[in-house]
Amino acid sequence: MKIEYTKEWCMRMARLEDDADYPGEIGAGVVARDAKTAPVEATSEANVVFGRFVQLMRRKQGVTLEKLAEEADVEIAELVEIEDDSRHKPEPRTVYQLANHFNVPSTKLMQLAGLSAPKNTRLFDAGIRFAARSESVHTLSETERAALEAFVSVLSDRS
Amino acid sequence: MSVTISPAYLLDAATGEPQAAEVWDAITERQLADFESDWKFALATAIKRLRLAGIERRNWPQTQSSHWDWRHKVDAFNGLLAKPSFSVMCQGRTQGLMIVDSLGRCKLETQKAKPLIYIDYLENAPWNRKELDCDQARITGVGQLLIRAAIELSINEGFAGRIGLHSLPQSNSFYAKTCGMTDLGVDSSKEGLKYFETTPEQSNAFIAKGESL
Repeated sequence: MKIEYTKEWCMRMARLEDDADYPGEIGAGVVARDAKTAPVEATSEANVVFGRFVQLMRRKQGVTLEKLAEEADVEIAELVEIEDDSRHKPEPRTVYQLANHFNVPSTKLMQLAGLSAPKNTRLFDAGIRFAARSESVHTLSETERAALEAFVSVLSDRS
Repeated sequence: MSVTISPAYLLDAATGEPQAAEVWDAITERQLADFESDWKFALATAIKRLRLAGIERRNWPQTQSSHWDWRHKVDAFNGLLAKPSFSVMCQGRTQGLMIVDSLGRCKLETQKAKPLIYIDYLENAPWNRKELDCDQARITGVGQLLIRAAIELSINEGFAGRIGLHSLPQSNSFYAKTCGMTDLGVDSSKEGLKYFETTPEQSNAFIAKGESL
């Protein structure tokens, strides 16, 4: 369908759009809405382990935050929160999606994220050891890789 | 896929200079590739900047669902005659996207049940949104081109220019004031978004606005 836009019309309307008391926002449609901008709950205690685990798994896969968000079908804004804010309480769907993506049991990842009560202290202890052996740096060192793999084996242990 | 391209112009917000643009009556692989690379990167960078600036998430500008997949949506609608799509190109990349539904019905009392073009989804590129404060050149006028396209399609379909949409909260003033649409209030069945609609007269007035200023 051909539309006859004149240059004058376009310029007048564009100036009107820019002059108006409007921040460049033209979004419409239910799906375009960001359902995640409501205030999010923060945990009372810092949870270094979960954020560190997500970050290292992402770096091990060599993907950016936006790529992981796309592949795991989670909000990039929440991924930023998870990796950067140890007090952020993640949403259950996000943890479930990440567990599927990283191929680890969702029940244990839920415990790690503080969304369900741990059945024993083994996972908690392993998480502490893992966090202590890893750094929030760009390159995944051999030590970090070993720590990550050891922790994934504990996570994946069905016993 | 056969695509008709309509020449148009946008405005470089920094220089005030006109920029040659194109309105495509389709969303093609090219636009989807731009969305997956440029749009997502710009949005991720803006979110990261807000985070590093220590701005709490509840105070962030509304950001569209960043994992929402235009490709998936376009694939789902591909081939459906009732779901035409449009895209705006300028400076070699995609500036705006829109999918519409040609089976909509009016809610305005005076137009009750008459057919209209319902805008399913409409989005601006992240760098064109002031609040996101992206590093890239901001282009203005994308909304006007897409609304005009929806009105022209409505006329073409014999719907006399009637269009309707559910606006995101941050866009309400654009549709009410700049586009002159009627605000029918909050629609609880659509996540509390406000519903806007135009009569044929309002659509004519929108087009005339750019011709008579």
